[in-house]
Amino acid sequence: MSNKPYRLAQGGSRIDRGRKVTFAFDGKQVQGFAGDTVASAVLASGQRVLGRSFKYHRPRGIVGLGSEEMNALVGVGDGARHEPNLRATQVELYDGLTAVSQNRWPSLSFDVGALNNKFSRLFPGGFYYKTFMWPKSFWKHVYEPLIRRAAGLGKAPEGRDPDTYEQIHVHCDVLVVGAGVAGLAAATAAAATGKRIIIADENPLFGGLADIAGGSIDGKPQIEWAREKAHALAEAENVHVLTRTTAVGHWHHNHLMLFERVADHDPALLEAQVPRHRLWKVRAARVILASGAIERPIAFANNDRPGIMLASAARAMALRYGVAPGAQGIVFTNNDDAYRTAMAFKQAGVGVRVVDSRGRAEGALVAEARAAGIDVAASSIISAVHSSLGGLNITGVKVAAYRKGQGRVITEKKVDCDFIAMSGGWNPALHLWCHNGGKIRFDEALQSFRPDHHHDQITAVGAANGTFALAAILAEATAAGEKAAGAKATKRALPKVDQASQNPLESLWFAPATGKYNEGNKHFVDFQNDVTAADLELAQREGYESVEHTKRYTTFGMATDQGKTSNLNGLGVLSEATGKPIAEIGVTTFRPPYTPFSFGSIAGMLTKTLFVAVRHTPVHQWHVDKGASFEPVGQWRRAYTYTRAGEDKHGSINREILCVRNKVGLLDASTLGKIEIKGPDAAEFLDRMYTNTFSTLKVGRCRYGLMMNELGFLTDDGVTVRLAEDHFLMHTTSGGADRIAAWLEEWLQTEWVHYKVFVTPVTEQWAQFAIAGPKAREVIAKLEPDFEISSEALPHMSFHEGKLGRYPVRFYRISFSGELSYEVATPSNFGRGLWNEIIAAGEEFGLEAYGTEALHVLRAEKGYIVIGDETDGTTTPIDVGLEGMVSKKKADFLGKRSLEQPYLKGPDRKQLVGLLTEDPNEVLPDGAYAVKVVKDKPPMETIGQVTSSYHSPTLGRSIAMALIQNGRSRMGETLSFPVEGKVIRAKITDPVFYDKEGAKQNV
Amino acid sequence: MSELHTESALAHVSAPAGLAADIREIADRGMIDLRGLASDRRFMAAAKAALGIDLPKKPRTSVSWGDIKVLWLSVDQWLILTSRGKATELLASLRKALGGVHSLAVDVSDMRAVIRMEGEGSREILMKGCSLDLIDGSYGAGTVRRMRFAEIAALLHVVEDEVFDIYVFRSYAGYAWEFLLATAREPAKIRLFGNQAVKV
Repeated sequence: MSNKPYRLAQGGSRIDRGRKVTFAFDGKQVQGFAGDTVASAVLASGQRVLGRSFKYHRPRGIVGLGSEEMNALVGVGDGARHEPNLRATQVELYDGLTAVSQNRWPSLSFDVGALNNKFSRLFPGGFYYKTFMWPKSFWKHVYEPLIRRAAGLGKAPEGRDPDTYEQIHVHCDVLVVGAGVAGLAAATAAAATGKRIIIADENPLFGGLADIAGGSIDGKPQIEWAREKAHALAEAENVHVLTRTTAVGHWHHNHLMLFERVADHDPALLEAQVPRHRLWKVRAARVILASGAIERPIAFANNDRPGIMLASAARAMALRYGVAPGAQGIVFTNNDDAYRTAMAFKQAGVGVRVVDSRGRAEGALVAEARAAGIDVAASSIISAVHSSLGGLNITGVKVAAYRKGQGRVITEKKVDCDFIAMSGGWNPALHLWCHNGGKIRFDEALQSFRPDHHHDQITAVGAANGTFALAAILAEATAAGEKAAGAKATKRALPKVDQASQNPLESLWFAPATGKYNEGNKHFVDFQNDVTAADLELAQREGYESVEHTKRYTTFGMATDQGKTSNLNGLGVLSEATGKPIAEIGVTTFRPPYTPFSFGSIAGMLTKTLFVAVRHTPVHQWHVDKGASFEPVGQWRRAYTYTRAGEDKHGSINREILCVRNKVGLLDASTLGKIEIKGPDAAEFLDRMYTNTFSTLKVGRCRYGLMMNELGFLTDDGVTVRLAEDHFLMHTTSGGADRIAAWLEEWLQTEWVHYKVFVTPVTEQWAQFAIAGPKAREVIAKLEPDFEISSEALPHMSFHEGKLGRYPVRFYRISFSGELSYEVATPSNFGRGLWNEIIAAGEEFGLEAYGTEALHVLRAEKGYIVIGDETDGTTTPIDVGLEGMVSKKKADFLGKRSLEQPYLKGPDRKQLVGLLTEDPNEVLPDGAYAVKVVKDKPPMETIGQVTSSYHSPTLGRSIAMALIQNGRSRMGETLSFPVEGKVIRAKITDPVFYDKEGAKQNV
Repeated sequence: MSELHTESALAHVSAPAGLAADIREIADRGMIDLRGLASDRRFMAAAKAALGIDLPKKPRTSVSWGDIKVLWLSVDQWLILTSRGKATELLASLRKALGGVHSLAVDVSDMRAVIRMEGEGSREILMKGCSLDLIDGSYGAGTVRRMRFAEIAALLHVVEDEVFDIYVFRSYAGYAWEFLLATAREPAKIRLFGNQAVKV
């Protein structure tokens, strides 16, 4: 042993012993080497415990090699850059890294929550469902907060994420997932065709397990062959290589998401503002899945003690990082591969022996181990693990004789050891294969599932396909690569492979224990969620027959590792408990993501100002400069009100309203939808789209139109002007612009294909402003119109195309406020210029800009409806009192037949009325319900609701509109509106509150 | 009244340093939206008479003649590009030639903002915002493609191999601009499929 308790004197292909790296683990300075992971460096420092378990708070150490790690989850980074729940086996070391263990309090070696373990009889499978059922109110206030504190994993970061993230879409001919020997062989074969290839691997280096799998290719170690191929692929012009990149999911049509950790491993990259993560959205013509296999743990008593690792992970610790998990190890296996681990430790000078559950242990690798002097106990299992107080350190095991199917432990002997490398066989990593419906079948030889057929263009090769022999992997992967790239199979001989053959494994789903079954003898199946074999059997006895139910009841396979190491072992336990073969037990559903990926990468660039695509009018900056507050209208941000110093919003809204009523106001109405409609059938087309008639409209005149859908419900409204005999300009609501343009096209393209009509949306070509108020005409006159603006020449609802000064304009005399009002449109690039001119011209008349809230109050005072306020998608023109606008003469139009349905004309429909509260200062809340009878508490029978409600400065009191059952025949009736803490009473009136005769706009 | 004041959508922004591509607004472009039936020989002839060139019928293509470019938008819609100063005149002659022919020609010069991006790596930058396979050979000079870009609708015109015009509705100009600046940052530069200096 070196000065580091677990660091071997020599070895470690990944580390650079010349470059020391210092980092902090749980606040303690720890030293490792460049190339270490947090897992290897912490272990090398002598620390075996890296976390506490989810439910029982048992001490846990490193088990796995990479992304399958379930115990050693750490939080990395400080403050806003903290990221919880990272697998320590995947976190690459750099100077200054800070990592913290999780789910322990107050410290790793002493944890209060570990008491759960002492009382674990009280925490069987389904414990949550059984225990926290009563009393009902306790769940929210007592149980859930407690459980959340005690269970749970890492902590969320604090503050705004300082880093950037992005996404990119890429198409390729072949995507190879996984760059072990199989992936490299497949990608190399595919790349030779010149097609576009992407090869991605979740690890920092390509090669998979080639460095620890033994065997040679063309006389050289596998790993050298892999390095050569990897470099050739990186240099190829038609290949994109991605390291530290996990394929997290496979969706329809070979759409995959690859999660690239671009800069996590190197703070200098983050400093240079390289995106921290990048999410690749890949559309691949073909996918080759070379995702390898994951080693299975063995369910033996106390198999979760720190120091018990997967055999491959223990081997990699020694060979890659020069770290031994202890001084005296036991390899516990049911297969030949784990003997390589025994050999690795033997060669590193670490004491090791093998416990093999198989009746006969006699393959080539076994012989090699025996020849090297390693003690091999066949027909044996580990029946107990002894550890120091609190389970922190293993002191020894009991080895018992075992015959499959025999059950109880009869004879056993104690053997000293301080670490265990276990191997229950290998499971092909099927996750991506299954995400999008790939079928799998149980393979008796592997005692695992392997890919069967798939509806998508995807092929599995190598260990992911259940192929483990090197020669077979190369042959299979090369052929798949050639086929995927559309090349003819080469006759070229495959490289010469030399690798020890292996004898079959024997399944071992449960190693019986010493003593009583579940008394401190937990056989963990799902380490991360603390689910034991006993929990699964209990669930079975309690009637959870479907594996999907068992999963949810026990939470087996539901942790962040998605059951990578636990799934099959659980099925094995259930199989033995039920006597049904595993193939009949079935598997639970594999769902993306393969490993967790960051919210940052999901959001990509779409954060902060890019979070929502916001639309601005040509005059937006003026509104900003004038201190406007904004409200969203569709994607637009419209000026809501311009609040001045010394005013509140209420004050500025009132000021703006009174300015329009008494002087003149200016509104930015650029957001209004504008659609040009032209063709010989344009007039007839509009007659069909609107409830009222447009074919009778004279050129140069405007008409307000109501639009229904086929169901007879109001969907849009606005003013349309006839520009020429065959040419109209339609205005839609701001929010409806795109929808209505598409609606018009849909009818023209799918139903009335015989109509000769073209429709072109031109909303954004025009900046459009309303100039409203008694002084509006005087302001216009100052703007030097090149046309007559007298009431006679330009009456209400007329139109003129001309110039204001030098600005080309479309000029409408229309009103949504009830005042003398014009709307003027000019091409958007002139918008700001013309706006400035109007502001300047209006100064002497007291002109002020007004916002959307003033606009709404002004229209409400006049009883004008707003689609979406007074209508809710089930409101008819009759409901809002606009029956007069529904043509009786036209042969047909959208919604006509529906509107004839008796239930749309029935007496109990809600009808639009005005409301005046008894207290004129009381403003009804929007959406308040009128009830038939007021009761102490809900439910109360409602008869309608408030649709718009404002304080009207014009009238000096509140006003409201409402849809009330049979409202028009209840004029004068007083209704009750129960709102928070009180009842507001209001009288039903006509919805037109101001200037009923319309005198003000006709001047 | 004073002089005519014009202000393009991105008049007040300019690209910062540290970008991997050259990005700027093209503000002097005149645009005419033309609708008509490609099957109507009178329409096609009239359009040619006014423009000097046949309207492109092949989807996602464009043609040019002098300082006029015509972009195919759909089976019955084209976007005609000219200089801003000539748009009014061109529209007038187009409407005159199309007199009596079922069609709709509208000046839409102010409806969209045009953002020019050029330089090696521009295709990769665009692929951060759209799902098109822009490094495929089918996106050569002259290609026109409507697309979803980031969260908005956009029109892509491949002007030259490494020169792109991105058309977005005017109100979204600021959003599109910011998105491009974010994705074009030099530290975020990517080269797809090629010799990569990475440790594998």
